Amino acid sequence: MLLRILARSLARRRSRKLLAVLTIWVGMTLVVALITLSLDVRDKINRELSAFGANIRVEPSAGAVPVRVGGYELAPRIGQIYLNEGQMEKLETLFWRNNILGVFLRLWVQVRVDGRDVPLLGIGAPHGSAAAGSVSFTPDSLKGYGHWHVKGAWPQADDECLVGVDAARELGLTPGEWVRLTLAGRTRSLRVRGIVVTGEREDGALIASLSTVQDFAGLPQKISEADVSTLTTPENKLAEKYRLDPTSLTPAEYERWSCTPYPGSVAAAIQEAIGGSAARVVRRVSETQGAVLIRMEGLMTILGGLTAVVCCLSVIGVLTSAVLERRSEVALLQAIGAHRRDVLLLFSCESAALGLLGGALAAVSGPVLGQGLVNAVFGGEAGSLGVLAILSPLLGLIVAWVACLWPVSQVLHQSTAQVLHGN
Amino acid sequence: MGQAAIRLENVSRVYPGGIRALDGVSLHIEQGEWVAVMGPSGSGKTTLLNLLDGLDKPTAGRVLVLGTDLGRLDPDEAATFRREKIGLIFQGFHFVPYLTALENVMLAQYYHSIVDKKQACAILERLGMADRTHHLPSQLSGGEQQRVCIARALVNEPQVVLADEPTGNLDERNEAEVMNIFRDLHLEGKTILMVTHNHDIGRRSGSQVLLNHGRIVRQRFTA
Repeated sequence: MLLRILARSLARRRSRKLLAVLTIWVGMTLVVALITLSLDVRDKINRELSAFGANIRVEPSAGAVPVRVGGYELAPRIGQIYLNEGQMEKLETLFWRNNILGVFLRLWVQVRVDGRDVPLLGIGAPHGSAAAGSVSFTPDSLKGYGHWHVKGAWPQADDECLVGVDAARELGLTPGEWVRLTLAGRTRSLRVRGIVVTGEREDGALIASLSTVQDFAGLPQKISEADVSTLTTPENKLAEKYRLDPTSLTPAEYERWSCTPYPGSVAAAIQEAIGGSAARVVRRVSETQGAVLIRMEGLMTILGGLTAVVCCLSVIGVLTSAVLERRSEVALLQAIGAHRRDVLLLFSCESAALGLLGGALAAVSGPVLGQGLVNAVFGGEAGSLGVLAILSPLLGLIVAWVACLWPVSQVLHQSTAQVLHGN
Repeated sequence: MGQAAIRLENVSRVYPGGIRALDGVSLHIEQGEWVAVMGPSGSGKTTLLNLLDGLDKPTAGRVLVLGTDLGRLDPDEAATFRREKIGLIFQGFHFVPYLTALENVMLAQYYHSIVDKKQACAILERLGMADRTHHLPSQLSGGEQQRVCIARALVNEPQVVLADEPTGNLDERNEAEVMNIFRDLHLEGKTILMVTHNHDIGRRSGSQVLLNHGRIVRQRFTA
């Protein structure tokens, strides 16, 4: 009998029912689109922020002397101990390998220029990357340095270099000039293509391609350090607890920490994979990423929540008039013996049908709109989320239920006698 | 004095604003009686009916129907009592507009216990509505609607039938038909309390109660 009543009731006053479905559909489409965007925003923002430098640095363990101040591990001095380029292949076996956006190899040596000691940095991409076999600067080897400001041009060939802004001032170098380097009796000339401002120690150095520096220094396949850009999760209390005192974590907490891509847990996994290495989090980068991500995710959550609330209010408006115009029907049901829960069940089922339909439609249109937003904001593809096919109708159902509660409670508290007698 | 189907003990109903709809009314109706409650507009007839079907509660006094003090029941308990013991007939008929005549009758069965289509058809047939069972209320005449309303009130075989101006919206012919149905119900032993302002209709019942300004001013037994 209930199904019969439901079917007849839903088929009646179709324009009002369609309006309710339309409201839920539009609202849920926005919510689902924002969910699609917010679930993708972490990955996309991480990739955008990777241009501002890697968030994990891998160094030879013997050269890395951990110095902690206030829980933060400071950078060790440059040592004369090297890692092998080949060791970086271990990153491919890592549990977090899909979170690695880029690996940037670096080799520091000390050279003499005009009788002064000047650091020379070689930068390059590892073998196996798009730059494999190349000896020149490539987009792959440079994309981790998007935050560097270059006055002039980036080097294009092995005999070209950048000069840090401090080194250029000390040595009196300008773009287009040649600089002559001396190291252990060997000499090599490089043409200055640009002056670079990094805000870091590279400001006092010359910067050339990794292969050039390896050849010149007689250190084939050797690197001083590798910068690893990774997709990570912003640190929370658990990550902070580990950072301050790794031994303070319970086994369950440690399990949770190691299974979450916090910067620290990814660094620990890298360190474990690459023998003889010490991987540390570059706080400046990871904390900036974390702060931006938290704000972005918070913003998306607020927007999604507000959209759901606005949708709910709109549906309340539609359902209120739909329910209130059936006051005499409810009064009749109660007069012939329906309990309040019977009336509630009837309206809940009707609302559920409308909510499920609106939500099901939004399960199709929401991801399409979400894809459009991702494309417009980040210019890329959004990940497909099958769970939205279930989540969207479920959200529609919840919104419809919440929306029908107020008007139904109003009619349940009406005076049945007065309504039946037309007062 | 036989067993009371309806008993009112010094019942008053005062609405917000101090309007005294019923003022110390006491009444005793035995099982199987057919009573007409009459009086002018505003005399308290409808208020009395609302107290008897448990849709309203007295401000003072006790309303006992088949031994149950309706003033003590919560809305759901009152609904249970109505569907099990009372058949309600409205002046304005009141139907679920999107259900057919048959389905409206079956709706009362649904909230009472189980739906029995055969029984619902039988009662409509008895009231001369066999060929109108699948019509929507809006497709029925006033007399037909009232007969469906009576069928819905009787389908669960209530012990007490409460009718509010059952012929108020009917023409003479339909009025007579409805009164014949009430006479048959009375002969079957149902307790009937019928509110009407029509003295001719009232005189056809077994006894009449005249209300004025919320008080019983006269009680008369005709048969």
